[in-house]
Amino acid sequence: MTPPSRGKRDPEVAAADSPATGSPARAPATRSPASSPATGPPATEAGLVARAQAGDVSAFEQLSSAYADRLFMLLLRLLGDRAEAEDVAQEVMLRAWQGIARFQGRSSYFTWLYRIAVNEANRALDKRARRPAGVAIRDQELQLPGSPADDPSRQAEVSELRVALGRALAGLPPALRTAIVLRDVEGLSTQEAAEIAGVSQAAFKSRLHQARLRVRAAVGDEALVTAGG
Amino acid sequence: MGIPGHTDDHRWSQQHLSHYVEGDLRRRARRRLDRHARDCVDCGRGIRAMHALVYAVQGLDGLAGVRAPASIFDRVRLAGGSESLSPRGA
Repeated sequence: MTPPSRGKRDPEVAAADSPATGSPARAPATRSPASSPATGPPATEAGLVARAQAGDVSAFEQLSSAYADRLFMLLLRLLGDRAEAEDVAQEVMLRAWQGIARFQGRSSYFTWLYRIAVNEANRALDKRARRPAGVAIRDQELQLPGSPADDPSRQAEVSELRVALGRALAGLPPALRTAIVLRDVEGLSTQEAAEIAGVSQAAFKSRLHQARLRVRAAVGDEALVTAGG
Repeated sequence: MGIPGHTDDHRWSQQHLSHYVEGDLRRRARRRLDRHARDCVDCGRGIRAMHALVYAVQGLDGLAGVRAPASIFDRVRLAGGSESLSPRGA
């Protein structure tokens, strides 16, 4: 199943507060890679939603597993802790299962599921913040892989930038981190990202810009320009 | 100090670098920032830094290839056993 609009960019926000529209048939990828049990023809996403809404757990798993890896990566990025991300991922799936009957297809299933994930991640972060000795976010969960660049000094610069970016993202308030992760790391369009974050596009943009300004301040222009150039 | 309006333009430009690289500024605002950045070393570097930041963050794909844990549906299966014909809210 093709992930929705990864890398998509919309340079101009036309209607900042336009409501979500669409139907299950408009879901980002309406064909599931899997087939219906025993019958042969591939199950459509809308068909899987209908079966899940009727109480078919295996249809729900088939429907949601297409997004499971990406959803888990999102949780890792937002939470920065693998054990917590695993726990929250299970909770997200449970919440989605419990709420699937209320899914009306006004947004894509992916958007709906991601929204649950962001809400659950924020809930987990709130809990963490209330703990007396908060668990520190592990920077390495937010870092990039090694660069294939040949020049060792350049590699070191890029590596330092990654560490600094990871720290800066981890230090953002959850709402700002969510904005920059959904838009810049996940590459979702502003409309999708705002819908997932549960705010208007204008509010989402404001969070995104604030997040970028804070990350820029934390990392520093010198590091960004040197490693980025 | 120096050029009248420069400080205002500078502060405003610094606050709108992300809008600038995102393409969220109207034409007049974009021209204002362009005009200021031509003469302001800080803002010129700020634009490059913001472009670099967005590019670098887009490349934060160190988790590519990470798989969801096999346990991800465990709670659904547990709940599904007792609610298999009626998910909550149905």
